[in-house]
Amino acid sequence: MTIESQQLTGADEVEDPILEIKNASVTYDGGDTHVLNDVTFSIERDEIVGVVGESGSGKSMLASAMLDAIPAPGRLSGEILYHPDEDTTIDVLNLSDEELRSYRWADVSMVFQGAMSSFNPTMKVGSHFKDTLRAHDEDVSEGMDFARQLLSDLYLDPERVLDSYPHELSGGMQQRALIALSMLLEPEVLVMDEPTAALDLLMQRSILMLLEDLKEKYEVTMVFITHDLPLVASLADRMAVLYAFELVEAGPRDQIIGQSGHPYTRALLNSTPNIDAPLEDMKPIPGKSPAPVNVPDGCSYADRCPLASEECTAFDPEFQLIEDEHSVACHHWEQARAEIALNFAGADEIGVSKGGDSR
Amino acid sequence: MGNYYIRRTARVFATVFIVTSLTFGLIRLLPGGPFTQLRVRLLRQGVPASEVDARIANLQNIQPDAPLWRQYIDYMLSAMQGDFGESISLGKPVAQVVAEAVPWTVFIVLVSTVLIFLFGILLGAIQAYWEGSRFDKAISALSISLMSIPFYVIAVLALFILAYQFQWFPTAGTHGTDVEPGLTLEFLVSALEHAALPIFSYTIGGIGGQALAMRGNSIQVLGNDYVEVARLRGLADRRIATWYVARNAILPLYTGFLLLLGFRLGGTVILEQIFSYPGLGYYLWSALESNDYPLMMGTFLVITVALVIGVYIADLTYSKIDPRISQGESDAY
Ligand SMILES: Nc1ncnc2c1ncn2[C@@H]1O[C@H](COP(=O)(O)OP(=O)(O)OP(=O)(O)O)[C@@H](O)[C@H]1O
Ligand code: SF4
Ligand SMILES: [Mg+2]
Repeated sequence: MTIESQQLTGADEVEDPILEIKNASVTYDGGDTHVLNDVTFSIERDEIVGVVGESGSGKSMLASAMLDAIPAPGRLSGEILYHPDEDTTIDVLNLSDEELRSYRWADVSMVFQGAMSSFNPTMKVGSHFKDTLRAHDEDVSEGMDFARQLLSDLYLDPERVLDSYPHELSGGMQQRALIALSMLLEPEVLVMDEPTAALDLLMQRSILMLLEDLKEKYEVTMVFITHDLPLVASLADRMAVLYAFELVEAGPRDQIIGQSGHPYTRALLNSTPNIDAPLEDMKPIPGKSPAPVNVPDGCSYADRCPLASEECTAFDPEFQLIEDEHSVACHHWEQARAEIALNFAGADEIGVSKGGDSR
Repeated sequence: MGNYYIRRTARVFATVFIVTSLTFGLIRLLPGGPFTQLRVRLLRQGVPASEVDARIANLQNIQPDAPLWRQYIDYMLSAMQGDFGESISLGKPVAQVVAEAVPWTVFIVLVSTVLIFLFGILLGAIQAYWEGSRFDKAISALSISLMSIPFYVIAVLALFILAYQFQWFPTAGTHGTDVEPGLTLEFLVSALEHAALPIFSYTIGGIGGQALAMRGNSIQVLGNDYVEVARLRGLADRRIATWYVARNAILPLYTGFLLLLGFRLGGTVILEQIFSYPGLGYYLWSALESNDYPLMMGTFLVITVALVIGVYIADLTYSKIDPRISQGESDAY
């Protein structure tokens, strides 16, 4: 992919981006291991965007990149631009340590993958809130009032939760407490990395509903990262699909669900468990995704793609706009739409209506 | 929960009771019958045959001709009152010998164990922060070699070189013979001089193990998400280092500390022998050598009870200090 092609893509399709990720790459081992490869993606103000990818595809790397918090010794290159309002641009990767410290959590906050391990086990939950307020020179008693409000918005008993040690709370309660903690400084953007992975189906549902309410009430832009496509499909306005450390498709939710152009997205849609679909219709995607080292020339999905041609293995497919706001990195996206049938009812028309029962 | 405290406390008494009973049984198991040896010795010392039984009764709080159950009850009753009879070799009440010896032993063991933990935790923490550095590797290597040297080897070497060759330190005793015990500077200096080598040799070898444990704990804690999340939340490095890393790394060492304190009391049998340092261990050893059963039992009991109480305190306080541990999980002693 060339830089010029990048500039014509999905990134520019967003009218009022709050966060722009440009050519973000993450490498380990002095550049030999690519765990995020040239990802360009913008997040619109006040939207909920869902990022989907299988385990190990680089989802957490993308999340960390937005806060310039790649785990050492990884190296992040590219550009992360934050726009607190339409006319202001903050270049996140060039912030000083002190500026970065106040940017994180206060401007762009994050719910870490695994709520259970995000709290210090020997500290009460309330102390985590106070620590955060003090670290950002906020008024503690005012901040704690806001914390209580957030907790009750999330249907938790504030006093009880604040006075508990993490292990005294259930998984769902810890998850919600962590969401409250991440909202404590009223961030503009909330990045959530697998916020529901450890929860049962019912809890996942109710957390999604709570998140929608939170988003409305506090006008926060949400990035919801998950491996569970149907889950996020019920919540997101726009979606992006990661495969092997690269973005392969991005677009409005209905487009991704019903009109996806990338063979991987279509395979993903067909492989996800669907309560209505008979078991024999479920197709696990054959093959496995490439390792971070030696990402192959050409399309990284070629090994597993039923439509792979010589062109595919020779040239990297460009991440190109195929229709309004909808970008795909595939040489044969039209063929994919025509030849790879989606196995759930109503697909290829409009998908599943938003907020409806996508499972 | 209250129930747990009661049961746990009852278990301490039960353990002490059983140990005391065992010491009674042990006397009985000695070759040649319960008091044959003692009787022979008293006779040899010129004690008239008519008085021997009375002397034995006095020494051990037991009537040699009473029925076994009677002897047992007498023995237990006086032991409970802290009366262990009279030392045969020293001619003093065992309780008095023990009372004089205990402070010195406690001093040595407490100071050296605290030093082990202080240095171990400090070194281990620094190593973990600079994991893989040259400092880390050097200290790890040193720790492992120190761990493989038994403390008595260090003790003998220290005694031979620093006390006998260089004569920097005294070779025996708890304080100078010409110094009156009391709260005087002279006495304190003299006591420290005498304790320095025992404490040194009892400390140096133990530091390695604690440093390695602390290093391992810290590295494990540093890899936890909550440390990374704390950084993202903008917390100051110092706050993270103390409340998020050190606290979680040190807590698991705490029970080990109290247990070690108890077990190291036992080690003083050898240590105090090497330095002729008249503490508990020293008297236990000399009691063994001179077949001084009352003294043997007294010192043995005190060491055992101290160990049991150490575990008891560790058990009760650990749940206070580490919120993750709920009460009643430990079943030790
Ligand atoms: N510290 C690290 N050093 C080297 N490689 C790493 C490191 N952390 C992660 N990786 C690699 O980076 C790739 C992407 O990791 P990432 O955590 O972003 O995946 P993910 O999509 O979040 O997966 P999951 O769904 O399991 O959370 C993986 O192949 C992983 O092996
Ligand atoms: S570019 Fe080729 S190999 Fe890659 S997804 Fe498209 S059709 Fe498949
Ligand atoms: Mg992840």
